[in-house]
Formats: sequence, C-alpha cells, structure tokens
Amino acid sequence: MPEIHVEGLVKQFDENTALDDVSFKVPDGKLFTLLGPSGCGKSTTLLSIAGFHTPERGRIAAGDDVFYDSARGINVAAEQRNLGIVFQSYAVWPHMTVYENLAFPLKIRRLKRKEIRERITRTLELVEMGDYARRYPHQLSGGQQQRVALARALVYSPSMLLLDEPFSNLDAKLRERARSWVKELQHTLGLTTIFVTHDQDEALSMSDSIAVMDRGVVQQIGVPEEIYRHPANRFVAEFVGRVNLIEGIVSSVDGTSVLVDIGGAGLKVDTVPSTTPTTSTPVTVAVRPEAVTVAPNGARPNGPNAFEARVHAVSFLGDHYEYELELGRLTLAAQSRARVPGATVEVRIPPEACSLVS
Amino acid sequence: MTTVAPEPAGAIRRPRRPIVRAGGFHWAVWAFVVVSVLGPFVPLIYSSFRDRPLYEAGGAFTLEPYRHVLGDSAFWHAALNTLQYAAFTTVLAVVFGAIVAILVMRTDLPGRRAFGALVLLPLLLPALGIIVGWIEIWGPGGYLTGWLREHLHVKTLPLDTIFGMSVVEAVRLLPVAYLTCRAALARADSSLEDAARSAGAGPLRVVRSITVPMLRPALLNSATLIFTLALASLGIPLLLGTPNNIQMISTYLYNNWTNASSPDPPFVSAGAVLLLLVATAMLVLRNRLLGAEERFVSVGGRGARQALLPLGLWRWPLAIAVSLYLIFGVVIPVLGLALTSIVSVLTPLLPPWELLTWSNWTALKEGEFRTAIENSAIISLVGAVLTTIVVTLATLVAHRSRFRLRRTLPFVMLYPRATPGIIIGIGFFWAYLVTGAAGDWLRGSIWGIMVAFCVRNLPFAYIVMYPTMARIGEELDRAARSVGASWWRTSRSIVLPLLRPAIFISFSIMFIEILNDYDPAVFLVKPGTDVMGTTMLSQFQQGFVGQVAALAMVQVAVTAVVLAVSSRLFKIGALGGRSDA
Repeated sequence: MPEIHVEGLVKQFDENTALDDVSFKVPDGKLFTLLGPSGCGKSTTLLSIAGFHTPERGRIAAGDDVFYDSARGINVAAEQRNLGIVFQSYAVWPHMTVYENLAFPLKIRRLKRKEIRERITRTLELVEMGDYARRYPHQLSGGQQQRVALARALVYSPSMLLLDEPFSNLDAKLRERARSWVKELQHTLGLTTIFVTHDQDEALSMSDSIAVMDRGVVQQIGVPEEIYRHPANRFVAEFVGRVNLIEGIVSSVDGTSVLVDIGGAGLKVDTVPSTTPTTSTPVTVAVRPEAVTVAPNGARPNGPNAFEARVHAVSFLGDHYEYELELGRLTLAAQSRARVPGATVEVRIPPEACSLVS
Repeated sequence: MTTVAPEPAGAIRRPRRPIVRAGGFHWAVWAFVVVSVLGPFVPLIYSSFRDRPLYEAGGAFTLEPYRHVLGDSAFWHAALNTLQYAAFTTVLAVVFGAIVAILVMRTDLPGRRAFGALVLLPLLLPALGIIVGWIEIWGPGGYLTGWLREHLHVKTLPLDTIFGMSVVEAVRLLPVAYLTCRAALARADSSLEDAARSAGAGPLRVVRSITVPMLRPALLNSATLIFTLALASLGIPLLLGTPNNIQMISTYLYNNWTNASSPDPPFVSAGAVLLLLVATAMLVLRNRLLGAEERFVSVGGRGARQALLPLGLWRWPLAIAVSLYLIFGVVIPVLGLALTSIVSVLTPLLPPWELLTWSNWTALKEGEFRTAIENSAIISLVGAVLTTIVVTLATLVAHRSRFRLRRTLPFVMLYPRATPGIIIGIGFFWAYLVTGAAGDWLRGSIWGIMVAFCVRNLPFAYIVMYPTMARIGEELDRAARSVGASWWRTSRSIVLPLLRPAIFISFSIMFIEILNDYDPAVFLVKPGTDVMGTTMLSQFQQGFVGQVAALAMVQVAVTAVVLAVSSRLFKIGALGGRSDA
C-alpha cells in the first residue's frame, strides 16, 4: 500500500476559500482522520482526493501515482484513481442486490465470473454479511447497508480507503460497535485509510493520527494523545473535548516551564511551544476539566498550582461529578469521581496538564 | 470478528480508460437541444427585420414590419382584448386553483384523494376537443343554451364574449395553479398550521393567516405562467371570438397569415417577435419569483404528517362545488363531444335520438380524416420516443455531469413552456425555409410538424423527469465513479435504471401532448401533412362539427387509456411533477 501525499491544496468556492494550503502525509497502512466542524473543508479535502472536486492548486499522490498536480496539469478522473470510498449515505445502489452491488466494480475490471464470485464471497464474509448476498438494500438495516458499502469499497482491492462520516447515520450504540469493528478491519487489511468526521470521540478512538481542520486550514496534525493533551491553539483545544481557557500574563520563564500570572495567583505551566514567550506577554493556558483535581477544603494538597475555589454548581453525570468553580474572577470546570463536600474546595491544576495555546 | 487472512488482496487490473470521452457527448447533447429550441427564433427575428419574405430574392434591412404592426389600430385593439382576456383567466384560474389545492391537501373534504387526481383532467384532455365540446353544449347555439332558453327562459353566460372565453380558458388552466399550490403545500410543514390552531385560531383563520400567506410565491408563480399561456392561446379565441368579431393577438396573427388578401409575412413575424418579448419577460419575472420561493420553504417539513383542518358543515357543499368544476371541465364537454359525434346535428329543437347516425364515425375511415389520424399516430409515437430520449440525455447532462454549460440546459428546456405555440410554428416555418434541402424535406412532410410539436412540449418531459432525477442521491453516482465506472457507464447502470418510472411517464405525457397539440402546426400544414388538431380546426370552421367531434372523441379515448395505463403502472402523483413548470 502506498503513502498518500497531499500538498498545498487550495480551493475556492465562489468567493470563499474552502481549502487554504492543506498538506499532510498518510503513512502506509495507517488510519488518518480529518476532524473538524461542518464547513471546515474536511469533506472537500476527501472529495478532492477521490476526484469529485478539483482544487485550484496543489498536488495529490498515492506513492508514485500522481492523481492531481496543478503544476504539471495532471488531473486523473475519479474512476481511474482506483480507491474505495464509503459515503455518509452509504450509497448502496437500491436497484441492485448486495451481490450485484459488489459485482459492479469487478465487472468494470473485466474479471472472470468465477473470480468475481470468489472475491464477493470472501469480502462478504469479511464484513460478516455472507448470508445477505441476494437481499436488496431496502431489506437491510442501516448498519447492514454500511457493511455492504464497505464491502463494495474493498472488493476490488483499492489502493486506499476513504470514509466520509460513515457512522453519522447510525444510532449511538451501533455507532460504537461499528467504530471498533471498522478499526479492526482496517488494521487487519493494513489498508491506508483517510477518515472524515466531526465527532472527536470517533477521531480519538480510531485514528493513528489526526488533522484538525477549521475554515479550510489544517490547525494541528498529531497522534490522538498529542491533539488532546497538547492542543496547538485555542480552536483545537475547544473543538477536541471540553477545556478551561485561562487568560494570563507571563511573569517569569524558567527553562521549559513558565509562570503565568492569573489575576494575582501564579500558575505554573510545563508545556510550552517551541517559541517560548517572553515575560509580560499575554497568554492563554488550556487545561482539561478532568485534569483538575478537587479536594475538601483544608486538605492541603502538595505541589504547585494549588488554589482555594468557591463551588458555584455541581452536577451528577453518572460516572463523575462536574464542578463549576470560581477562582477569584475565573470560572473553572473540574471533574471528580467522588462528591467533595463544602462551599469552598481545594483545587490543584497539575503543571504538566497545562498548555500554552495561541 | 474473525481474523481471516488480510483479504481481499492481490492487485487486480485497473479499469480501462473509456474510448469515447464523455465531454464530446455532453457538447453534442447540449448543442442539439439548444439548436432545436432556440434555433427557430433566429430566422423568425431575422425575417421581422426584412422588407420582403425570406423566400423572395433580395431584400434589405428595415423596421417597416414593426412600424406596420404598431401603427395598426386592429393590433392595438387585439392587444387590449388579449390583456383583458389573460387577466380574467389568471384571476379565475389562480383563485379557484388555490382553493381546490387547499381543500385537497389540508382539509377533510370527502373524496379528496380522487379529486386530487381528477382535477388534472381538464389540463390533460385534448384542448381543442374540449373547446368544441363546450361550444356544442354551452356556446351561442349550444344544446343546453338553447334548451334552457326555450324551456326555462334562463339566459346562460354567453361564451363568445371576452369574459365568457376567459371562463372556458380558466377551467382548462385551473390545474396549472392547482398543481403549483399543491406542490407548495406538500413541501410546507403542516405543523406550522397545527401551531396556529394550538394558539387558538379556528380553521378559517388558520387558512387566512398561515396557509394563504405560505402559498403566496406559488400563487404569483402560477399566475405569471397562466397569464403567459392565456396571452398566446389560439383555440378558444379562434373558435369562439372570431365568429363574434373579437380579435386577440393570436387570432390577429393567424388571420393575417392565412386569410389576408396580400400575405405579408414580415409583419406577422414582427408581431410574433413582440409577443415573444412579452412571454420572455414573463418568464424572467417567474424565475425571479421562483428564487424568492426558496425562502418560503419551511425546513424539515418533508414527510410530516398532513394534519387536517375540519370543514364541519361545509364538507359536503364544498365537495359538490369541486364536483361541479369537474362536471363543467370534463363531463359536459366530453358528453357534448360524444353526443355531437353520433347525431347528424345537435339542436335543442329536436330530441337527439331522432337524429342518431354513425356517419360521423364512418367518415373517419377515409380521406383526409384517415390521413390525419394516421399522421397523428405516427408523429405521436415517434415524437414521444425521440423527445424522451433527448430529454433523458439532456437531463443527465444538466444534473449529472460536470459539463461546463450544464446549468443553461434547464432554462433552455423550460423555455418553450413560456413560448406561444403559434410563435414556435412561425419560427419553424422560417427555419425550414432557410435550411436548404433538409428544411424542404421537413417542410413537405409530417416530420416538420413533429419536430415543432416535440420542441413545444419538451418542457413537460423535463418537468416529469427532473424531480425523480433530483431524488436520486448524488452519492450513488459518486460511488459508481469511485469503483471505476465512467460517466457513461454510471449513467447506464445506476442513474437510468432508477429513472425508469420517470422515463415511462415522460413518454406517456409526450405521447398525449403531441397527439392533442395543434397550434404550432397551423403555420406548417400542407395538403397531406394534416394532423388531427389541424384537421379539426379547418373542418370546424367549415361547419363539419360531427366529424370534428368524432375525431376529438378519438383523442379523448386515447388520452384516457394512456393516462389510465400509466397511472396504474406508476403513481399518477408523479404527474404532479408538472407543477414546477
């Protein structure tokens, strides 16, 4: 399986820039996710790779196979790119049986009847739909249609797999099952895959690496843990999970950590971007609610970044309690597995869980 | 999941590149449609600026034809009549069409489903035959008119006045308004109306304050279309108005072309161009209104349960009122035709059973009647097949390709809907005249008439096709492309099979429309190339009413059979696609 290279894609829709210099590389056999809100350009990127949108500038290649190159005037037709795609609507052809849906790409490739039958049988077994070959799509549930769509995208051994929000039409329970199932299948086949979603849980749980996009620009590329724990900027921090954003001014810099003045108190931050900010510049600190620890007042937690906070509201969410705290002028969200009594509590914000974001 | 071997693996041959590029095919389809639809207007406009007909040698540029038309007081008189006629027709058809639509879509009117389908009949039945049926029953010398005057001393509404004619026209065109309003109501979320009722509004108040305002774009849209159709209507003014010396623009042009002592085609062309300008302006206005309509589409209303407004005591009186419309629009004219076709003369002075005869029907078996029936059958069948093929391909290019000029195709395909039939006729007359041997051959055969009929009625095929095409999700095509199918293979294997019901309905509609059409042909017929419509027109004017009625009954019967078959095979609701016209 080849590596996928996307370099400097630019696309305009009327006046709006849909893609602005989008570049990334997907290593062989990995699952790469484009994550972002609707209209961020993730689907446009995917459809450009598939050949259904033509960007104005840039280059798309799978290994040595160049699909699109504005500089050299190359633009391979969608049907010549030999990739598999699963759409949001599944797009299982309603007038064909499951078998006929899978046979269509093989007939186009002029395979012998026997080989067609073998491949279809094998692929349907792979997606656990072997008993449904003679059914029509309207006789299948949403989850089954999705499996058929996936089987159809795999049956001709494409050079890569593209998934365009494939789980968004499934209900919550089914979605979780489908997620781990697809991930496992992708891993087994070792198929280079690009996955588009607006669901951060999906992105975090399935991906080898993630590109977060907003307004046509790639905001950050990294492995799921990196994206979640050390967001590069405000947008990524807010889009991927819940986050406390604390405004402050750098009061001192010490090697790899900085001390940020947040309205009188000092907050130690361990994760600092490569360009360390200088003293007295305004900065934003991002910290996840679950990283903040809550203890009864007077428990005297050790280490830096311990503060006393007033409890504004508590809500019970099953597996944890959600605290809305007031820390001077700041409001801070925190999570705790146990209920901490009292109108004031001790909070600790671990320095290693804090990131400076732009 | 079991851990099977990482299969399917093993690279297989890639799909082959298609031999013929789709691009060339897209250009060919586009050019064919554009030339067929807009082509005839070029020689028409050209001829209106020449000082002599195109078939005479020489000739120079001149504005004289326009000076002639605009300086003719008869033209202005006809224009004023036409304006009144179109205005009356529009008001009547739109008001009552909207009422019927609301009754059928939003109330508990008894038999609303049946009414919903039957109300379309006056539009689908042969126009010329229905007019003849009306005249025989309700016209100045009609059976019922005379009978009521003799026996009850009741004076009926005279049909040979401008208002009388517009009533007949409105009965015929009411379904146009009905369909547009019905489509708008089907799109609109009925929970909007439920909300008003929860807020304490009575049914009538709901209709007045919520439903009617929601319909406003549909009303304006259908009003402009009906106005345009009435503006250029030929049959009713010719059969009812001309005997009473009421001229309209259409009859003014027709009479000047056929009957004038010194035929002066350039000046008729000039008149036709002026009418075309008005019709085009109305089309532009309509497109603006259609744009505005988008704003009124309520979100998420699709598939919502249609809540009913109870009519209470008014249920049956209103059902009777709608039935009356069907009686006037369908039963009376069809009965009139049937009766007229089996008597030697239909008169209130003698009971019809004393005048029974089969001679009108036996006359159809020979001479020009037989020729006309044969010609009509051939061109309806061939024309419907050809138009359906062309429109299917053009719709594919318009909505399922990335062809550069695809967005122009829907406008081009809908344009003839707003173009008066007589103008299309004159346009093709000149077009055949200036295109050498091919034109001569078309001009001398029934195929020339067929082409004009096909172009004139092509919008119906597109209007039937488009909603089905729009419902076929684009991802189905993309899925096919991604697995390696070329544009043509995708169209053939995915889109066309899903489009099959629409293709069949479009064929039936085209067959009926071509069979029953007449006005583009009046400028194209030659001895031997008569079709049913033109034969009916000329025979009626010569007074052979019985044969005309028999001929019209043939049209009615064929229309009814085709409609019954296609509505049985496919839901007649699909005909509702016409609403977006």
